[in-house]
Amino acid sequence: MPNVLIASLPYLLRGAIVTLELSAVCALLASAIGIIAALAQSYGGLVARGIALIYLYLMRGTPMLVMVFAAYYLLPYVGINVEPMTGGVLVVSLYYGAFMSEVFRAALASVPRGQWDAGRALGMHGRWLMGIVIVPQALRLAGPPFINTCIMLVKGTSLVSVIGLVELTLSGREVVERTLAPFQVFGGVALIYFVICYSLSLCGKALEARLPHAH
Amino acid sequence: MRFDLDMAARAIPELLGGLAVTLELSVLVIALSLIWGVVLVVGRLSHLLPLRLACAGYLQLVRNTPVLVQMYFFYFGFAMAGLRLSGFEAGLLAMVLQNGGYMSEIYRAGIENVGARQREAGLALGMRPFEAFRIVIFPQAVRLVLPPMTNQFVAIVKDTALVSTLSAADMMFRARLLIDRTAAAYEVFADLTAMYLVLTATIALLMRAAERRLGR
Repeated sequence: MPNVLIASLPYLLRGAIVTLELSAVCALLASAIGIIAALAQSYGGLVARGIALIYLYLMRGTPMLVMVFAAYYLLPYVGINVEPMTGGVLVVSLYYGAFMSEVFRAALASVPRGQWDAGRALGMHGRWLMGIVIVPQALRLAGPPFINTCIMLVKGTSLVSVIGLVELTLSGREVVERTLAPFQVFGGVALIYFVICYSLSLCGKALEARLPHAH
Repeated sequence: MRFDLDMAARAIPELLGGLAVTLELSVLVIALSLIWGVVLVVGRLSHLLPLRLACAGYLQLVRNTPVLVQMYFFYFGFAMAGLRLSGFEAGLLAMVLQNGGYMSEIYRAGIENVGARQREAGLALGMRPFEAFRIVIFPQAVRLVLPPMTNQFVAIVKDTALVSTLSAADMMFRARLLIDRTAAAYEVFADLTAMYLVLTATIALLMRAAERRLGR
């Protein structure tokens, strides 16, 4: 029976590569969105803060599956015909951008006030103060929760399988339809996800151990 | 493309039919994973090394695999093995297994943050170990545990939408049926999003009230 899994492994691995690519692109975009949203929420004017809050509330309060289907059903109505890959990247990035923003916001907030004062006492302000004193320390603090959010994101990419993007999960479903061996195949799919996510969490631990404590 | 208010209003009762399934699943998952989490954290903090390792391994396993794949595993796997689970049951099983793991981590963090010294203080006052836990550790841990638990409850409610892919007739499933029938995608998605927002906001508000109660 395990040879079902071995025979279909190349096909599953091709799906795993799509999952990895999708995750990498989305992690980058989500981080960018997260940083912008965190800055808007913490230091923005009234309008920027309002937009950021609505975005965060919407993403955190609704299931990602709703967003996935919304992209699938709604975008064609307004004349945007997106491929599953584009739609997937869009939804996953926007959704996890909200969680990334929380990671960065918390990190910014946990840099002690004294560091701001120290920077100002040295005559720094604005971009200098942020760039040299605050952001480097905040990035250190953001490390472990950032990795956790990346793991969530990798798992979250499985949802775009429902709109026909052939990544790891949908590859698994296709193989099951052919081989009728769901335990082996989905067990194998889960194992591949495990390898990806567990490696990420090991990276996170190594990162945590190596970074000196801020301040 | 314009937004049809009348259509949006007519879609609400249809979706409310699915709300019962969403709520039932959410409540069951929350209740059962609270219990399963206790079992796991007892194993995690036990003196027996094999038990501790087994619980830690289990946690890594459920934490590093997508719940959707776990649902497929149980739904399609058991069906092939001759034991047919409904989409609701397979979803419930997968979600309890995963969220029980998360709950056990929340409990563990709460207990460890209260600290060994508090326990020792209780023992020094002549309490037995379980009394020290019940009287000293537990009341303090509950307060620490509530905020992360709120996040987990919200995550659970949102994850219940996944059972719609296994043909369980929750809100998400009804919304898709409705769109296929009426093509009123905008209106239905607006309703659906609003209903999930109300649901998750209600949980957050209730939990915050509980925090304030216990904070005193």
